[in-house]
Amino acid sequence: MEANSGGGGATGSSDFVRKLYKMLENPADNTVVRWGLDGESFVVLDTDVFTKQILPKHFKHSNFASFVRQLNKYDFHKVRHNNEDSAHSPYGPRAWEFKHPDFKANNKDALENIRRKAPAPRKAPTTQEDSIPTQQMDMMNTQLVATQQQLVTLQELYNDLRGQNNMLTHEVLGLQKAVINHEHVMENVMAFLNTVDSQRRRDSRLVTPFPANGHDTTTEQQRIAPAEDDAPASPLQHAAKLLSETNADQTFNVRALEHLNEQSIRLNHTLTTPPPDIAARARPSSRQAPNSASSAGSMRMSELDSLVYPVGPNNGIDPMFEAHIHNIPYTVPPTRESENGQIRKKNNFPDPGWVRQPRILLVEDDPTCRRIGSKFLYNFQCHVDCAFDGMEAVTKVQSNSKYDLVLMDIIMPNLDGISACSHIRRIDNTPVIAMTSNIRSDDIAMYFQHGMNDVLPKPFTKDGLHSILVKHLAHLKGDPRGLQAPGAQQAIKDDEPPTKSPVTAANWHSPNQMPGVSPVGAGPQLVEEYHALPTMPGQLMQGPLVSYGGLPAQQGPMPGMQYAPTTGAVPPQMQLQAKSLQPQMQHRRKISELSSAPEDAQGVDAKRPRMLPQVSQPQPVPQPQGVQQVQQQQQAQQVVLQQQHLAQRQQMQPPTPTHPPAGGMGFGQ
Amino acid sequence: MEDDDENPVAFSKSIVADYFDQADLTFKQMDEYLEKQDLKNISKLGHFLKGSSATLGLTKLKDSCEKLQHYGDRLDEAGHNRVSDSQVSLRNCKKTIEQARREFKEVEDILQPFYQDD
Repeated sequence: MEANSGGGGATGSSDFVRKLYKMLENPADNTVVRWGLDGESFVVLDTDVFTKQILPKHFKHSNFASFVRQLNKYDFHKVRHNNEDSAHSPYGPRAWEFKHPDFKANNKDALENIRRKAPAPRKAPTTQEDSIPTQQMDMMNTQLVATQQQLVTLQELYNDLRGQNNMLTHEVLGLQKAVINHEHVMENVMAFLNTVDSQRRRDSRLVTPFPANGHDTTTEQQRIAPAEDDAPASPLQHAAKLLSETNADQTFNVRALEHLNEQSIRLNHTLTTPPPDIAARARPSSRQAPNSASSAGSMRMSELDSLVYPVGPNNGIDPMFEAHIHNIPYTVPPTRESENGQIRKKNNFPDPGWVRQPRILLVEDDPTCRRIGSKFLYNFQCHVDCAFDGMEAVTKVQSNSKYDLVLMDIIMPNLDGISACSHIRRIDNTPVIAMTSNIRSDDIAMYFQHGMNDVLPKPFTKDGLHSILVKHLAHLKGDPRGLQAPGAQQAIKDDEPPTKSPVTAANWHSPNQMPGVSPVGAGPQLVEEYHALPTMPGQLMQGPLVSYGGLPAQQGPMPGMQYAPTTGAVPPQMQLQAKSLQPQMQHRRKISELSSAPEDAQGVDAKRPRMLPQVSQPQPVPQPQGVQQVQQQQQAQQVVLQQQHLAQRQQMQPPTPTHPPAGGMGFGQ
Repeated sequence: MEDDDENPVAFSKSIVADYFDQADLTFKQMDEYLEKQDLKNISKLGHFLKGSSATLGLTKLKDSCEKLQHYGDRLDEAGHNRVSDSQVSLRNCKKTIEQARREFKEVEDILQPFYQDD
């Protein structure tokens, strides 16, 4: 209704204003709403009655708030009565008085001057803080969840490593004990040999002035001529020397191990008994340092333990690869945001210093988001073009492919963002940023799969948008520091130039590149686990580690890992299944399965997600022996556990599109 | 547009005002779709209002819209399980639309002082 009432402006006064005037001309409603005493304002005396009876009559709604908003739009102002006045308010305490310089009781002609205000008329700045903190809170919440997710993952990794470390420490301590025992044995043997040796010499010279004394070779040497003694005794002396040397070495190792062991005891609260020998030989000098270090360690540990990590089903980001921390698709402003945010909110960003003005295409069906988004972009000195939906976006890119960046909403009428991106990918490689609130890991995987370069979670902040710009438009910047905002520092501080980041997006996969697991080696095992794993759906869903890179060509060794298992072992089954599908689907499927060219992701388009899941459907286990073997190995070796993780992560990808995200990705449109 | 920088309040005012209008309209459309038992479009509207509500930081309303989106998709509140009975989904939608309306009214009342004068 408001649209209707606002539309009449062209033919003189607007509908709304005329209706307003007409309403006041009706003397019957005088007790509820009427002109002010001087005819320069109008007064609503009883808002309740006004809302229930008058509003529906003239404006076809009964919403006082809406009415007031409408008045505001036409630049009416409520007449304020400050405190002392309100007692004397001529119309009563509950009355609302509104005023517009051109809205007067006896001047109908002036009504024409009352127009809807321009979108952004100027007013004194006061209360912008009202809406933004909440928005920031939202953003912070998103970040928090993401961070927590990372912590969970780190914790898992940490536990794994701790277990392994534990094992290694045990192992080493065992070895240590063995070595020490050997040493003792050797000492005994040496003593015995010495005895035998001296005995032999004494016997041979028929000199027996002393009782047999194994240790006293030196005294013997003094008594006997050196030239004669050296020969028989030297092998023994040599051995003794060697022994003492290794002994010294061991001292050194023991110290380090002692340290390690103490730490692990403290950290794990599991007792690994230190070998008694070590305790006996404890080096006083080595005591202090380990103690302090390990107590610090235990502190950290207990802090970690006392924290609670709420685990959400979404927002999982794999933090294992260090580069990710600087490359988080959640454009996470650093922690100091809260301090700086207050200041920055007031001050505008400094001149970004673009080499030339970046051209941004903002694709968004929601006017609120669109306006805020373009406002931010204007603030960053960007040229903004808007598109209402995917269709318009594709048309715009087609007719003018000079955009530097496309910010793309996902769920839109007519053509959704994912499909639009696929279309755009056929035209050029303009970076496309998914701008959406659907940021579950499987959603994000799908965005990347369809050629998107990054994700800007909604609702976003100015900083969030800014860091995306910095990240993807680095080539347009003369001085990288010009546009640097706290939110963007991470992206820039990163050693690699931000231009690389679309490529580094491939690193989302890299957690899979566990040390020691070569793609080739992992292949066969993975295949087996593909069959074995569906029996653990719970684990699958929990796994917060998700690979994000959807662009196979950029993954380096990854395609091998990702696709080799499928091509190697699954095709027979896949083809069986394919027969039940339409022929053209089969054709496409083959392409997508057998090659890992990036075009697949686009070419197969929306159909791909529906096919891949079949890989992960529980299937009869064709190689039970193999599975058993794997399982045994897993029990025996922790390293294999990692591979399992890895396989789970692989596993995460195929099933994702089976459950389209809550919003429905709009494929059907 | 640059002038907006000096008038952040005016800008946010107009944005919020537009949002209110848009939401008014959206609620009306929701009622119509409810009448027509058109769950799919209710879900779409839920998503639509969710976006702008979230952008303005109106989290309660955002959450309700998300629920509505799920209900309209014939899912349960959290969007995890299917709801087989479309009548149940419709009832859920109706209930949630009412709730969202209340929340909207709340927001309107809170922001009203911000709007009525300068």
